[in-house]
Amino acid sequence: MDKRSIKIICFAGLRKYFGSETNVQVEPGASYSKVIEELKVINPEAAEVLSSCRIAVNEEFVSMDEPLKLETPIFLIPPSSGG
Amino acid sequence: MKHLQYTDLDYSQLFDEFRNPNSGAVVLFSGEVRDNNKGRDVTHLEYEAYEPMAHKMIQEILEEAKSRFRLNQAICVHRLGRVDISGCAVVVITGAGHRKEAYNANRYIIDKVKNEVPIWKHEFFTDGTSEWGQNCDCAIHEDEHEHDHHHEKAK
Repeated sequence: MDKRSIKIICFAGLRKYFGSETNVQVEPGASYSKVIEELKVINPEAAEVLSSCRIAVNEEFVSMDEPLKLETPIFLIPPSSGG
Repeated sequence: MKHLQYTDLDYSQLFDEFRNPNSGAVVLFSGEVRDNNKGRDVTHLEYEAYEPMAHKMIQEILEEAKSRFRLNQAICVHRLGRVDISGCAVVVITGAGHRKEAYNANRYIIDKVKNEVPIWKHEFFTDGTSEWGQNCDCAIHEDEHEHDHHHEKAK
């Protein structure tokens, strides 16, 4: 199946590796964890922080096992450090 | 109420406006910027958030805490942008009939906000370098707090 591009919004320390926005190519039906894997390939230096990131879609956290929605941008959420 | 703001946090005013005749106990927590972290001298912090989600999550945490601890009122406001040394970065105020609920709820709210809400701290040091906070500092005080998130350990 043809790969499709999905938009990813990055915050905080992740911007050093990927800028504010990036895209990855994924196969339709892939899970959100595939996006993390692809990003690790694009920039292996970000692997550690990517392993502790959560993903939000439409302002809700999603499970990494869930099939991704190609039309909806992904918000990549590094570990919180507020307070 | 707004839970995020780019201007100075005036917790005295928030405290004055908070009073409720049903509350016999009111607890105020102010998280303030230290001039040092892990042995390094800090000049200031800058906070960033995924704002719509952070606002929504803080609202949900407050609603949950109100019901769980039988609070009369609860507020939480977090700063965004630059905060200088001794500046207030986050304030949580809880009011309940009695002190136990007000204290416990306040701790519960600040722990959840620090550990789960998409807000990030960028620390600036006197040597000109800066660093993004990668995780909460509570990993070294594991037994002193309660929250649901999982601490990622460096491998």
